[in-house]
Amino acid sequence: MRFEQTWFRYARRAPWTLQAVDVSVNPGDTVVILGRNGAGKSTLLQLAAGVLSPVRGVIRDRPPIVGWVPERFPADQPFTAGQYLLRMAALRGLSGAAEVDHWVERLLLTEHVDTRLSDLSKGTAQKVGLAQALLVRPGLLVLDEPWEGLDSVARKLIPDIVAEVTDSGGSVLVSDHRGEITGLPDAIRWTVTDGIVQPEPTQESDEVIVEVAVRRADADDTVVRLRADGHRVLGVRAPQSERPPR
Amino acid sequence: MIAGLVILSVIYGGGSSEAASAYGYSAVTLFPLLAWQTKLLLDAEPDVQRKLARLSVGARREAAAGVLAALLLGVAVCTVAMVAPVPFHGIRGPVPGSGEPSLPAGVAVGVLAHLLAVPAGVALGALASRAVTRSVRNGVTVLVAGAVLAIVLGLRGSWAPWLVPPVMAMARDLNASALPSAGTFLLLTGWAVLWCAVALAGYGWLRRTRS
Repeated sequence: MRFEQTWFRYARRAPWTLQAVDVSVNPGDTVVILGRNGAGKSTLLQLAAGVLSPVRGVIRDRPPIVGWVPERFPADQPFTAGQYLLRMAALRGLSGAAEVDHWVERLLLTEHVDTRLSDLSKGTAQKVGLAQALLVRPGLLVLDEPWEGLDSVARKLIPDIVAEVTDSGGSVLVSDHRGEITGLPDAIRWTVTDGIVQPEPTQESDEVIVEVAVRRADADDTVVRLRADGHRVLGVRAPQSERPPR
Repeated sequence: MIAGLVILSVIYGGGSSEAASAYGYSAVTLFPLLAWQTKLLLDAEPDVQRKLARLSVGARREAAAGVLAALLLGVAVCTVAMVAPVPFHGIRGPVPGSGEPSLPAGVAVGVLAHLLAVPAGVALGALASRAVTRSVRNGVTVLVAGAVLAIVLGLRGSWAPWLVPPVMAMARDLNASALPSAGTFLLLTGWAVLWCAVALAGYGWLRRTRS
C-alpha cells in the first residue's frame, strides 16, 4: 500500500493535519506510528484504513479487507457485546457464529457476552473493538492505541495477533505513545511531527542503549521528554524481577 | 410519534373530510415529520460505528442501507397516518351529486400522495443528517429550511416551484372539486421522482466526499 503525496485537513479553512505524506507499507510489515497527542497519528491511521479520504493525493493498493480498531470504541449502541459481534460478522458476510465464538474466547470476553456495550469497562470495550476487526483475517490491520485500557494479560495478546496477520501476508499499522512497542521487535517506525510523517531508519550505527530507571508515575513524562530531545525510546518495562517471560 | 399524533388530530379533528382532500393535506404535513425522523434515524448511529460499517460493507451499501431503513420507516408511519383516521370516521366518501371522487379513487390518490412524500422527506432528512452536515446547527438549518421552502415555494404562483418536491402542488390538486387528469398525476409523479433522484444523488456524493 502506498501513500502518494497525501494531504489531509478536516475542513476547507482548517490547517493541514497531514502534509505531503509519501510512505509505503509492504505485505508482512508491521509499522509503529509514534508521535505526540494531536500530531496526526489517528488521522494517518484513518486514512490508511480508508475511513477518511485524502483531500489531495491518493492511497493506492489498499488490501480489500481492512480491520480498524478505533481509538475509542463506540459503546453508545443498544446491543450486548455478543449481539454486536454477531451483527458485525453478518455485515462481513459470515453466516455462523464460529468466528465470533473464537475471538470471544481468545480475547477473554466470554463473561461479557451478555453485557450491554454501554456497561462495559473501557478495556473490555476495547477488546470488543479488537474482535470486530479480526472476524475476517484482514489484509491490513489498523490499531489505534490498542493497549489503552487493556489489562496485562490482554496486552500480551496483541503482539501474537499482529504476528498472525503479518505471517499470513497482511500488514499492520499501530499507533503508540507509551512505548509499548517492545512487544513488536521487528516493527518499522514512523514518527508524526506537526503533520509530517517521517519513516525512521531501523538501524542507527552509532547508537548505544542507556537503561534508565524512573518512578512509575513519571514514566510517561520521561518518555515524552526523551523523545522531545530526539532520543529513540525503545520501550518501558517493569524491573527485571517482575518482567514477564517472553 | 407525539408530533405525528398531534398532526393527525389537527387534520382529522374537525369532523370528517373527503378522502383525496384529507390525504393530500396529510402528505404535506407528514413531509417535515418524515424528514425529521429520517435525520433522527440516521443520526442514531455513532460516527465511529458508521465508519466501521463502511469498512465492513463498503461506502455505497452503507449509505444505501441507511436510506432504505428510513424509507421503510416512512412507509410504516404513512400507513399508520392513513389508517388511523378511519375508525374515527375522519374519512368519508363523496357527497352525492357534488362531483367529488369516489372513496376508492380518493384513497388511491391519497396513497400516491404519501408514496411521493416519503422519498422526498427521506431525501431531505438524509441531506440534514450529521454524516453530511456535521454539526447540529447545520443539520437543523437544512431540515427547517427544506421544510419551510417546500411549503413556501410550493404555494400557488411561486417563482421556483421545481426547486422543491411537489407535496404542496399535489395537495392543491387533490383539494380541487374534481380529481385532476391522469396527465397531471403523471407530471407530479415525474417531478417528485426527479427531485428525489437529484437530492439522493447529492446525498451520495456528499457522503463520499465528506468522510
